[in-house]
Amino acid sequence: MSLDSKRSTHLPEALREQSAHIQGLARAAGLDFAEIDFRLLDAHDVNGVAAYGGFPTRYPSWRFGMEFERLDKTHQYGLSRIYELVINTEPVVAYLVKTNSHLEQKLVIAHVCGHADFFKHNSWFASTDRGMLARMGEHSQIVRQAMDREGQDCVEALLDRALSLETLIDPYLPLRRHLGADVRSATNPPTFDVLGFLAVHAPIPAWERELLEVVRSEAYYFQPQRMTKIMNEGWASYWHARLLTGGVLSDSEVVDFADCHSGATADSPGRINPYKLGIELFRSAADAGLDIFRLRRVHNDASLIDLLVDAKFVERQKLFLYGQNAKNGRIEVVERDPQRVKAKLMQDLAWGGLPRIELISVSGARELELRHHHDGRDLDLEAARATLLCIEKLWGAPVRLFTRESGEARCLLAQRGETSIEDVEPAA
Amino acid sequence: MLRIEADRARFREIVRGRIRADLKRYLSTSELFARRGDRAVSVPIPQIELPRLRFGDNNKSGVGQGSGERGDAVDGEGTATVGSAGEGAAEHALEVEVELDELAAMLGRELELPFIQPRGRHSLLCEGGRFDHIRSRGPDALRHIRRTFKQALKRSVASGEWDPKNPKLVPVRDDFRFRANRPRPLPHSSAVIIHMMDVSGSMGREQKEIVRIQAFWIDTWLRSQYDQIEVLYIVHDAAAMSVDRESFFHLRESGGTKISSAYELCLAQIQTRYRPEDWNIYAFHYSDGDNWSARDTERCMTLLRDELIPRVNQFCYGQVKSAYGSGQFKKDLDESLAREERLVTAAVNDRSDISEAIRAFLGKGR
Repeated sequence: MSLDSKRSTHLPEALREQSAHIQGLARAAGLDFAEIDFRLLDAHDVNGVAAYGGFPTRYPSWRFGMEFERLDKTHQYGLSRIYELVINTEPVVAYLVKTNSHLEQKLVIAHVCGHADFFKHNSWFASTDRGMLARMGEHSQIVRQAMDREGQDCVEALLDRALSLETLIDPYLPLRRHLGADVRSATNPPTFDVLGFLAVHAPIPAWERELLEVVRSEAYYFQPQRMTKIMNEGWASYWHARLLTGGVLSDSEVVDFADCHSGATADSPGRINPYKLGIELFRSAADAGLDIFRLRRVHNDASLIDLLVDAKFVERQKLFLYGQNAKNGRIEVVERDPQRVKAKLMQDLAWGGLPRIELISVSGARELELRHHHDGRDLDLEAARATLLCIEKLWGAPVRLFTRESGEARCLLAQRGETSIEDVEPAA
Repeated sequence: MLRIEADRARFREIVRGRIRADLKRYLSTSELFARRGDRAVSVPIPQIELPRLRFGDNNKSGVGQGSGERGDAVDGEGTATVGSAGEGAAEHALEVEVELDELAAMLGRELELPFIQPRGRHSLLCEGGRFDHIRSRGPDALRHIRRTFKQALKRSVASGEWDPKNPKLVPVRDDFRFRANRPRPLPHSSAVIIHMMDVSGSMGREQKEIVRIQAFWIDTWLRSQYDQIEVLYIVHDAAAMSVDRESFFHLRESGGTKISSAYELCLAQIQTRYRPEDWNIYAFHYSDGDNWSARDTERCMTLLRDELIPRVNQFCYGQVKSAYGSGQFKKDLDESLAREERLVTAAVNDRSDISEAIRAFLGKGR
């Protein structure tokens, strides 16, 4: 790791003891997790690690620099603050921020135990590469060597193009593979793994193919976190609350704990706070006598909500549906009908919150045909045009995307660096 | 240093590239001006977003949590209007610092400005300088390995210790050599910029805005050309006074215009504080070109010809078009002082003329 080696990242003695104590309690309560490597960093360095998505060994890119700029600025202005960063590897790496108070460190350590248990047992993570820290380092090597050979601008342009397609993967592929399905033809059409298809079939030089694979494998690594954000945070919050109030706190710390905990799990009207919704889901499951350990193993956000959210839950949690008032442009509360609230919640979470784009076929003239599985939500067509151009550039032949806009059929066509829109239905 | 710093530097480089490409637009807006700090401007730029296939905005609905009746605004205050112009942009804007020197370099390239050869130079003995010397004492950090071993080799050969079969060298204390710097005289130049502005009734908001954009770029460029720079601000209507920077840009007077009052104050300042032998002097005057009387104009010409122009590097007159101004003063200047090389006049009809005016003022390299 390229962090300044002169500064120790080890936990001080007192925290080490606390950490061992809390981990012991966690295991006794039934959590089961890999060894956790706690490291203490100052806020600046944590922002640096966070900008890399948790991997200081990651390949160089201006985008991480931009993310760092953003994190560092918002931190300086006191707008946001990172308490911890947990990385799904073995051992689990957890970065704690030096400026956390002693109480906050205890809370965060307990929280991290929850995440580590979740990483180990949730089935969506079953096939993630636990040696990702080293893998990211290898990826970095690949990118650097390509930059040396091909030039930085050229490699950056390709990476940017590939990253535009990062979301065009099949979120269910890793699980299918894990469950023993035959996935050899996964990158042949029809497929959701557009990025994989291009990495295998696009007529591009070997180094470009290699970089597409780098981006694809990192995208697959992060995908399960996207699909289990609410559960993962909920699970970790559920356990930090239980462990801390179960004997870790001294009397004088209870109020501070309550303050810190309720800050993290506060309602945020305009959007869902994953900590809050997640912890309430697990609490209501526990109240109903369900096996929460089993739930955390088999579900993702959408399926857990499908199982647990009912009229009572919507009412108790004060969930509501909001929408834009056409008259004044205001975002307003629309209704609290449990069925509708639940349906919307699941729609927003399904497929990792992204539009479902499927590669249907390759025609005789090598034209790619993509279809957007429209569910009432239109695409941002401007962004879609630009993205199609990225695909066309890699594929080297025209690319079509069938979608709908305000109920009308639309077909976006990208060819020779230009895009056009037609009102065409896909051929049956 | 964290590796992330290299990526941040790369990001900033990309941003600077964008500013450079966009400089024409910045030259006619007050965007950068308003964000000036001591050494840098912080430029808000939208986060560079990679295109993605994502949902559009027919979907501004979702699920929230909390209290509220049907029809209540979601942000709790009830005042927010989401979706109005720039809403998303404001959220994603990042501020990136660009050093004033760097901005000056961009300006110089864009307008092809020549570097200025300062007149009246002082030499200052500067510490620092390059480490291009060797001495036998110094801190370990500056140890010159090759010279040290060369010295050790010489000693070893001279003293007969050297054994070519076993070429071992152990430098002793006297062998060590260290890099050293030598204080050296560096030319030191200082300049003063005197901005004068007509703040009479006919100069409106837009006219002042133009002046202020122009003054910002002129300051930025000249600042990059001199080691030390001072800036004076003078406003005038029928009488002139020295003001600070803030008032210069916001003051609004009414009433008549007597340009000579400003020139007299300018001259007084030069005489008392800025000897032309020691200072490079730049005077800029902005007005809409209406003067009180022909007699006062006559007085201005005399002042310029006999007193001001001989003392300054360059005297620049920028005439900003206003609804009321006749623009007579520029004609008068161009006619009666046509032979003065160090007088530059420019007409600015609207913001798009700013870059041309700057080029006219600074393009002579004086």
